[in-house]
Amino acid sequence: MITKQLIEQIEGEASILFDMKNGVVDFATISFPHFRGIESILKGKNALDALVITPRVCGICGHAHLMATVRALEDAYKNAGYPIELSKKSKIIREFTLTMEIVQNHFKWIYLTIIPEVAKLSNSTREQTPLKGAYAASIASKAIAVFAGQWPHSSYMIPGGITTDPTNLDVLKVESFMDELIGFFEKESLGVSLEKFLSFESCKDFKILNSDISFLENSLIDMKMNQKGFAYDRFLVIAKHTFTKPSKLKHTRPFSINAKYVNTIDSYSPNQISYAKNAQYKNIFYETGPLARAMATNFPIVKNMHRRFKDSAYSRAIARVFELATLLQHAKELLVQIDISQKSFIKSVDISKITAKGIGVVEAPRGPLLHSVNIKEGIIQDYKIITPTQFNIGSSSKSDPTPAQKAMKGVTKAEALFIFRTFDVCSVCTTH
Amino acid sequence: MHSKNDKKPSIIWFQGLTCNGNTHSFLNLENLENLLNKFEILSHPSLPSTQDFNSITECTLECDIFIFEGTYDPLMKRNDTSISKIVKYYAQKARYIIALGSCASFGGVFKASAPERNSGLLFNEQEKSGPLLKYESKVINISGCPIHPEWLAYTLSMIEKRREVETDSLHRPIELYSTLSHHGCTRNEYFEWKVDAGAFGEKEGCLYYKQGCRAPMTHAPCNKILWNEVSSKTRVGTPCFGCTEPDFPRKNLFSTKTNMSIPEDIPLGVPKRSYLTMAGIAKTFRIKRLEGKLIDYKTAD
Repeated sequence: MITKQLIEQIEGEASILFDMKNGVVDFATISFPHFRGIESILKGKNALDALVITPRVCGICGHAHLMATVRALEDAYKNAGYPIELSKKSKIIREFTLTMEIVQNHFKWIYLTIIPEVAKLSNSTREQTPLKGAYAASIASKAIAVFAGQWPHSSYMIPGGITTDPTNLDVLKVESFMDELIGFFEKESLGVSLEKFLSFESCKDFKILNSDISFLENSLIDMKMNQKGFAYDRFLVIAKHTFTKPSKLKHTRPFSINAKYVNTIDSYSPNQISYAKNAQYKNIFYETGPLARAMATNFPIVKNMHRRFKDSAYSRAIARVFELATLLQHAKELLVQIDISQKSFIKSVDISKITAKGIGVVEAPRGPLLHSVNIKEGIIQDYKIITPTQFNIGSSSKSDPTPAQKAMKGVTKAEALFIFRTFDVCSVCTTH
Repeated sequence: MHSKNDKKPSIIWFQGLTCNGNTHSFLNLENLENLLNKFEILSHPSLPSTQDFNSITECTLECDIFIFEGTYDPLMKRNDTSISKIVKYYAQKARYIIALGSCASFGGVFKASAPERNSGLLFNEQEKSGPLLKYESKVINISGCPIHPEWLAYTLSMIEKRREVETDSLHRPIELYSTLSHHGCTRNEYFEWKVDAGAFGEKEGCLYYKQGCRAPMTHAPCNKILWNEVSSKTRVGTPCFGCTEPDFPRKNLFSTKTNMSIPEDIPLGVPKRSYLTMAGIAKTFRIKRLEGKLIDYKTAD
């Protein structure tokens, strides 16, 4: 029997058609209905305008789109024979604001998405505190805005650097937001210091906690999510950052990668209109996002978790929590490296001199985000975007399911819907 | 006498073609909980809601305030129900309709995905020809890409306190949109003396002359009600793109169109001759302080 389920309160809207057999999911197709045509909107525009338009692909990860655009434009400059020089300061500040966008995303996912779902599925009477997620995210956004002017929808990264020229006053302000945010995370989310949490070696260490995060962890175990929601146990990290190690992994074995091998195929969702294409690497599906990034950097506790529970829904969810913790610490370390006396922006030739193609790859909250642009005398001829959700949550045929389709097979419908959300779905990005 | 008024105003927050930017900007509101406590949230894209989405699209509920985020595409469906049916149903039921963000107000970025049919709720860019013409008196436009959370909080609080929200000819609250985003810009002195920014990435210079800044022509309190309580585009050296106006997004956003090195679009309401005279005089002076660095770090190379 096939039943349709609308998924809302994700980023945008999706629906899943479940084909049930004996009370469990035999096959599921996913559709993302609302096409917005950003790629065609960009055609014919001045290439710099993409720095304003592409962040509008997504309200929650627009900063990642901004960075993908600026990297694509800088790559085009390079390919046109005018390599862009970037100061260390501008690189660090870019990394910092990108990192903090991932941080705000993960806070929202924990408090507005996954804990409410856990509570629903396990009939918990625990008091719900979704606004904790919004509060923490707002502090992270303040830290971004000191450099970027605002969040969401900043356009402060431009080919050659950043528009802002911060003082120590600004850096100190950001440091104090970081202290406030980390203090909040320790007190309200973890129930233990960040340092202690990051020194956890095994999932058993959660036993000492009594906090929102331990509620999440315990509930996932109670729901047997450590035995469900398996995808391919293949992971993909493409973009270079201060916090990533680009590689593809089959189980735990890493291989080198090159963004040029990313391909897209038409999605399969009969009886439903969907505008999403599936993304693959060399024609194979991989999981992307926090679990993939932690596996690639050999993050000890996540590796330990993976040894026991593989790429289960549990591992996927808890990896996101650990990534949040890691990135908070990483962001603080980045701030210390800012030398305000360096240049913010190093001028190159005008964009109208550029006729070239460029690719920009960024690790967004949910995984690799690829922008490729073709510019003729500064004008966009063609613009293509591939988003992380296209890797994780495409809709393919029964014989070659996507990671999310595979992860939903063999469980009840309620469990499948939960597992779906462990991927942190972004429908708006997918239907750019 | 109290019983009826004590009921919290109810809100349905509904989305058309959108990026969720206004939703996420709103979550940044300081004291979000205090504001939310004054309302009954029947439906919201990410906050806890009392009704499930199916019951919203069935069109059997009522609400006091209907918030619409995103561009209106008459062919769009939500939960297999035509958006035109849903929007018209709640427009008729609600006391107030808030078109949230520039997409809902004027068409915005996503108007371009289908320019011949997409629009805002009441306006199609400047032209008042949107689908909710019949309910014009109820519509409040809060334009911006995205909106600042306080702009929405202000509007909702005014409604909750039963105070009248006065609006301009584009249906935007005048207490928010009579301010230009130029007002309060930290680069104002450079504007006064016509000193342009030599390049991006500097604290000095005005971005209006070369970098495309639209702040002197844009109705928005961005430099009065700071973004995320800390900053604004112009304060970090990014030009204002005029995102609260009906013609957003314009073209060539990072450069100023000039005639004889004078910006083609001059500050709002200023007669061109007056502007040219003022600019001409200001440019004859050389003010050393404004040509140098604002801060001269002794430790710098």
